[in-house]
Amino acid sequence: MLKLIIFKELREIILSTKFAATFGVCSLLIIMAFYTGIKNYQSSVQEYNASKAALFSQFETAKDWREVPRLTVFLPPNPLASLVMGISNDIGRAAVIYDSGYQAFRDSVYSVNPVFAVFRFLDLEFIFLIVLSLFAILFAFDAINGEKERGTLRLSFANSMPRATYIFGKITGSFLALALPLLIPVMTGLLLLPLMEVPLSVNEWIRLLIFIICGLLYLGVFLTLSVFISSITKRSSSSFLFLLIIWVCSVLIIPRAAVLLSGNLITVPSTSKIYYQRVQMQMNNIQELLKRANEQINKIAQEMAASGDTSPEAQKRYTDKMSEVYKNLQEENDKKISAYISRLHEERYNKQKQQERLALGISRISPATVFTLAATGLCGTSLELRNNYEEKVLTYSGIYSDFISGKQSQPAQDNIVKETVNPREIPDFYYQPKGFSDILKDALPDITILLVFNIILFCGAFIAFLRYDLR
Amino acid sequence: MTESINAGTNNTIVLEADKLTKRYEDGVLALDELSFTIKSSEIYAMLGANGAGKTTTINLFLNFIEPTSGEARVMGIVTHKEPLLAKEKLAFVSENVMLYQNFTAIQNLDYFAKLGGKKNYTRDDYRNVLLRVGLQEEAHNKRLKGFSKGMRQKCGIAIAILKDAPAILLDEPTSGLDPKAGYEFIQLLDNLRSEGKSILMSTHDIFRAREIADTVGIMNQGKLVMQAGRDELTDKDLEQLYMKYMAGHMEAAA
Ligand SMILES: Nc1ncnc2c1ncn2[C@@H]1O[C@H](COP(=O)(O)OP(=O)(O)OP(=O)(O)O)[C@@H](O)[C@H]1O
Ligand SMILES: [Mg+2]
Repeated sequence: MLKLIIFKELREIILSTKFAATFGVCSLLIIMAFYTGIKNYQSSVQEYNASKAALFSQFETAKDWREVPRLTVFLPPNPLASLVMGISNDIGRAAVIYDSGYQAFRDSVYSVNPVFAVFRFLDLEFIFLIVLSLFAILFAFDAINGEKERGTLRLSFANSMPRATYIFGKITGSFLALALPLLIPVMTGLLLLPLMEVPLSVNEWIRLLIFIICGLLYLGVFLTLSVFISSITKRSSSSFLFLLIIWVCSVLIIPRAAVLLSGNLITVPSTSKIYYQRVQMQMNNIQELLKRANEQINKIAQEMAASGDTSPEAQKRYTDKMSEVYKNLQEENDKKISAYISRLHEERYNKQKQQERLALGISRISPATVFTLAATGLCGTSLELRNNYEEKVLTYSGIYSDFISGKQSQPAQDNIVKETVNPREIPDFYYQPKGFSDILKDALPDITILLVFNIILFCGAFIAFLRYDLR
Repeated sequence: MTESINAGTNNTIVLEADKLTKRYEDGVLALDELSFTIKSSEIYAMLGANGAGKTTTINLFLNFIEPTSGEARVMGIVTHKEPLLAKEKLAFVSENVMLYQNFTAIQNLDYFAKLGGKKNYTRDDYRNVLLRVGLQEEAHNKRLKGFSKGMRQKCGIAIAILKDAPAILLDEPTSGLDPKAGYEFIQLLDNLRSEGKSILMSTHDIFRAREIADTVGIMNQGKLVMQAGRDELTDKDLEQLYMKYMAGHMEAAA
C-alpha cells in the first residue's frame, strides 16, 4: 500500500507539464551554476598566479634584500568557494605584510568588479536556496487540500487505508519525485569538476557531498512545510499564498531583519568613537599629570634649595632627576592610556562578536539562513574565512619578518658584482583552511537544525493529517 | 472479475443504518435516528431535497465522519469501530470526482484498483470495464485533463466496479451523465444487482429511481419520511408522493 502511494505520487508529479517546465529551468540553472563556478575558479587561479609572478619579478629587480619591495600575500583560490561563494568575494584577497603585521586586505572581487557587487554572483548555494524551496512549494502546496478539492481524497479513503500510510507515502513520494530528478543536473555538475580539471581533494569531495545532502534536507524542510500548511488550510489557493509569505520571510526578510534587530539590541562602539574617547582621556589626564609633575618638581627644587649645593654637577643631577620625573609620569600615562584603549577595543570586539552571534541566532529561525550557514561553513566561505585568513596572515608576517631581518643582517657583499634577490627563498605562504573535522564540527549544529526542522514539520504534517476532515 | 463475491448469496443484510444520528459541531441535526436495511441484490434509492442528509448518510458509512449516536453497519461490521475492515466491503462513487488529471483513464483505474486491494487486473480487464461503463476506447489512454464531467463520472463508476465489493455507495452518480449514458447506467446497475451487489444510491432523479430501485426512501431534514418497495410503487405515482411529502414537511417546518 505504501509503495503504491509513493509510486503514484512520483508519477503524478513527474508526469505533470508543470514538472517538465520547471525541471528544465532548474536543471539549466544548476548546471550553469557549476559551469560558471568552475570558469570563475579557473580565472581566479590565473589571476592568482599572475599576481604572484608579478610580485616575484619585482623582487628580482632588487639588488639586495635591503631594497626589496613590501611583500604581498594572496588568498589562494578555493574550488569550493566558486560553488558556494559565501563571503569569499567580499573580503580582500591580498594582504601587504610589514614588520610582523599586515595592512588591511585589499582587492576583493567586488572592489575590483563593482558590478558584481550590485547583482552578486549566481552560485550553486543561491540557486539551491531559491530553486529548491520554490520547487518544493510549487509541487506540494496542494498536497492535501488539492486532493480534497479534486475528490481523490474521499475516493482514496473509501478504501481500507490507514491515514498514517497515506501521509507517509505522500511525503516520501513527493520528496523522491523532486529530489531524484534534481540529482541529475547536480550529478552532471559534479562530473564537470573533474572534466574541467578542477583539483578537488577527497576531503573537499566529501564536503561537497555533505553540502548536497544539506540541500536535500533544505528541500525536505519546505516540502514538509508545504504538506503541513496544505493540511491545515481549507483551500489550495490559500495554502499557496501562506507558503509564499513564509518563503519571502525566511529567504528574504529574516536574514536581513535579524542583522538589523541585533544591531539595535547590541550597539557596537565605532572606531571613531574609540578614537574620540582616547583623545578625551588624554585631555583629562594632562591636568592631573601637570599637577603631579609640579608637586614632584617643587619637591626636588626645595630639596635642592635646602642642600645649598650650587655646583654645576649638583645642578645637573637635579635637572636629570626632574626630567626623570617627567619621563616616568609620561610612561605611566602612556601605559594607562594604552591599557584603556586596548580595553575599549576588546569591548568593541566582544560586542561585535555578541552582535554577530545574536544576528545568526535570530536568523536561524529561517531554514534558508541555516542552509546558507551550513553551506558556507562546509565550503570554507563563512565568516570564519576572514578570521582564519587574518590569523594565518598574522602568523606568517612573523615568519617573514624573521626571514627578512636574517637576510638583511648579512653583510652587504659589495665585492660580488651581482647578488640578485631570489624570491623563491621567501617562505611560502600557505593559506591552510581549517581541518576537516573542525569544519564538520562547525557545520554540525546547522545540519542538525535542518534535520530538526524536517522532523518537526514532518510530525506537524502527520498529526495535522490524522485529524484532517476528509470530506 | 470472475471471483465476484456473492454477498452471502441471497437476501442477507449488507448495509444497515441503525438509529443513525449526526449532529454537526455547529449544532445542525443532519440525521435524526435514521434506520434502514439493504440486502444483497438490492438497490436502495435515497431521495430528498438539498440538505436532507443524503451525503451525510453516505459519509457515515465511509467513516468520513463519526455518528453522534447509532451505528452504520456493513455486513455486520460497525463502520466507526472497524473502519478499515468495513471499507474493504465498500465501493464508492462520489459526485463530481475529478480523479488524477495527469493520469490516463487506465492509470487512474490501475491505481484505485490496487488501492482497493485488487492487484491482478490486466489491461484487458481495464479496457473491458471502461467499455462496460460506456467510455469509448480512444479515450482509455488519454489523460483525464481533457475529459468531460460525464467521462470522468464513467471512470469513477468503473473504479467502483473494479473494487468488486459487496456493497456500492453512490452519491448522485447520474449528475453529469447525458440521457444515453444515464440509460446505460441504469442497465449497469441492473447488472451489478444481478451479480449480488447491495447498492445505496442518493439521487434527485425520481424517475430513474423508480425504474431501477427495489426500495425508495424519501428523506427530509435527516428523517426517513417515506419508504416503499418496488411493488408498492407501481401503484402509486412516486412523483406525487415525493412532492406531497416534501410539501407536507415544508409546511410542517414552516
Ligand atoms: N460539515 C458540516 N458542518 C455543519 N453542517 C453540515 C456539514 N455538512 C453538512 N451539513 C448540514 O447537514 C445537512 C445535510 O447535508 P447533506 O450534505 O447530507 O445533504 P444532502 O442531502 O446530501 O444534500 P444535497 O442534495 O444538496 O447533496 C445540511 O443541513 C447541511 O447544511
Ligand atoms: Mg449531497
